Amino acid sequence: MNKLAHQRLNANFKQSLKYLRLVFNDFFVLALIFLFGALMYWYAQTLKSLPPKRWYYPLTLAIVLWLPTLTGRLATLLKAADKQFLLPQDRAMKGYLQIMRRYSMLLPTLLILLAAGIMWPFALLKVQLKGWNYIALVLVMLVAKYGRLRFESGQLYFGKSYTDWHLCDLAGLLLSSYYSFGIVVYAVVALFFAFAYKLPKSGFDWNRAVDLEISRKNVIYTIFSMFTDVQEKTINIRRRKYLDFLLPKTLGKEHANSFLYRRSLLRNPDYLNLFVRMTVFAWLISVLVGEGTWTLGLCALVSFLTIYQLLPLGNEFDDNLMYVVSPISKKGRGKDLIKVLNLAMNLQWLLIVLGWLVMGPLNLKLAANSFLLLVWVNLLVRLYLPLKVKDME
Amino acid sequence: MSLKITNLTGGYTGIPVIKNLNFSIEEGQALGLIGLNGAGKSTTIKHILGLLRPQAGKIELAGLSLAEQPTEFKRQVAYIPETPILYPELTLKEHLELTMLSYDLPTEAAWERARRLLKMFRLDDKLDWLPIHFSKGMKQKVMIVSAFLADAQLLVIDEPFTGLDPLAVTNLLDLIKEALSQGKMVLMTTHVLADAQQAVSQYAVLNRGTIEIIGSLSEIRQHYGLKDSDSFDRLYQMLYQEEQHE
Repeated sequence: MNKLAHQRLNANFKQSLKYLRLVFNDFFVLALIFLFGALMYWYAQTLKSLPPKRWYYPLTLAIVLWLPTLTGRLATLLKAADKQFLLPQDRAMKGYLQIMRRYSMLLPTLLILLAAGIMWPFALLKVQLKGWNYIALVLVMLVAKYGRLRFESGQLYFGKSYTDWHLCDLAGLLLSSYYSFGIVVYAVVALFFAFAYKLPKSGFDWNRAVDLEISRKNVIYTIFSMFTDVQEKTINIRRRKYLDFLLPKTLGKEHANSFLYRRSLLRNPDYLNLFVRMTVFAWLISVLVGEGTWTLGLCALVSFLTIYQLLPLGNEFDDNLMYVVSPISKKGRGKDLIKVLNLAMNLQWLLIVLGWLVMGPLNLKLAANSFLLLVWVNLLVRLYLPLKVKDME
Repeated sequence: MSLKITNLTGGYTGIPVIKNLNFSIEEGQALGLIGLNGAGKSTTIKHILGLLRPQAGKIELAGLSLAEQPTEFKRQVAYIPETPILYPELTLKEHLELTMLSYDLPTEAAWERARRLLKMFRLDDKLDWLPIHFSKGMKQKVMIVSAFLADAQLLVIDEPFTGLDPLAVTNLLDLIKEALSQGKMVLMTTHVLADAQQAVSQYAVLNRGTIEIIGSLSEIRQHYGLKDSDSFDRLYQMLYQEEQHE
């Protein structure tokens, strides 16, 4: 099993590297460096102007240090087939999980150290913790993280109920930030879970372990999929009955393709999340940039990017065997897609304009911008989309 | 109206899996395709459904050619796959509505038929469920309900009894018999001959991509020299031995 664990770690490392290379491309890294630089500059300036010793400083420190401990769930790298092929390996799982725990510590350790480094001046100058005290706190955090991973391993066995210890970590950090004896309490609990907590020897719950790993991997794939295509990602369709009012009440003039496109847009998280993300992005731009031509231009860009990214909806069902064998004609499906995206894009326009109305008073400029954005959205739907859907039929 | 397969040769790559198949199914007739795994049963079905393009030969249904009039051809065919394939985005009700839309069925009459089928397979209270909430057997029942709702001339059924409870198997056989009495055609692959022979009277034995014989079970027994007391498992053993000798 230990050999298998190492093989899987290697395969996982190669796969992660493949996607990380695509995520952290030159432009993204450059943007990150600028953003990080700006953030650190702001932090340095703010530190200078902050008065020392305020009651909420330890609270701020605890929350900032707590955030990186939320990363890095136990990576078991188990696969669905393990339920069958590794079933008799219950006892060997202890060693396997130990290797996996060490691996799972990598990311949180890096992030905890990074956050601790950034917060060092704040902790020492403003919270007025002693240097050794702060270092001890960071060490205890690392031990606590390892303890929690150990506890997570234990919960993969039958008879162990699931408890979320994230808030205990926050409590430990708060206690340690406000009172010097707090770190002792936090350390005792962390040490208990890291070393004294007994892991069961048998009764490994394969179903639960595999399900947890699939959901953990899916979170990672979802992050990667924001930047690139991820084949391994599974889609969790949600019913979202509350959105049914957006569907036609009768089959009347409906076509099979538009019937499918509407439901995929509303229930497939790939499309709905994209729609929501882009709309929220347009609102954020409007808040940050303020009223004016720049906001209009940037929101127009958001509309274009939304429509562009929704285009794969047209070929969504081409790999579904029942779609291929059923008598659903491919002729006219481009028009069906345009019909559905027309509604979606006009809905996005409405949401953006409603956002503008909430942010500022209705005046001539806002009315003109709203009208211009509506024209742009409909130009996209009527002129750009027909060009793009030509090859679909 | 009939399904005519003429000199059908095809497969997945250049090498043919099925060779020079010839058979036809007339109105009110059912044909069972039997043979060992890899004999070419599923490949034959995939060609009839248009999932594979024939390397040679013709597939015609009611005078329609799959190659020339694919949508009209497919409108005459309903398919129940061995492994249920549903749209994850659609509820059970929406699967039925999609069938109505794609087969151009008049809604009211179709819903009347759908209600009967749903009740038969105990799905009538699950109309709002997504496929993720169905067990494998229930998914298979959704496939059966959708296929019979389509009211197509040809039913293509791949290993229909897998994963179904005995009650559902009986209901399925009743539906097949009813469809045959209405002049529909059925093409079925199966290993479960005991169930199949309640509705299917003609069988084609496929072996390494060719049809060895088409006939009733008793004619097949005679062809392979099986005694009345021999179970049909003996046929599969003989086919395996033939394969080993070559």
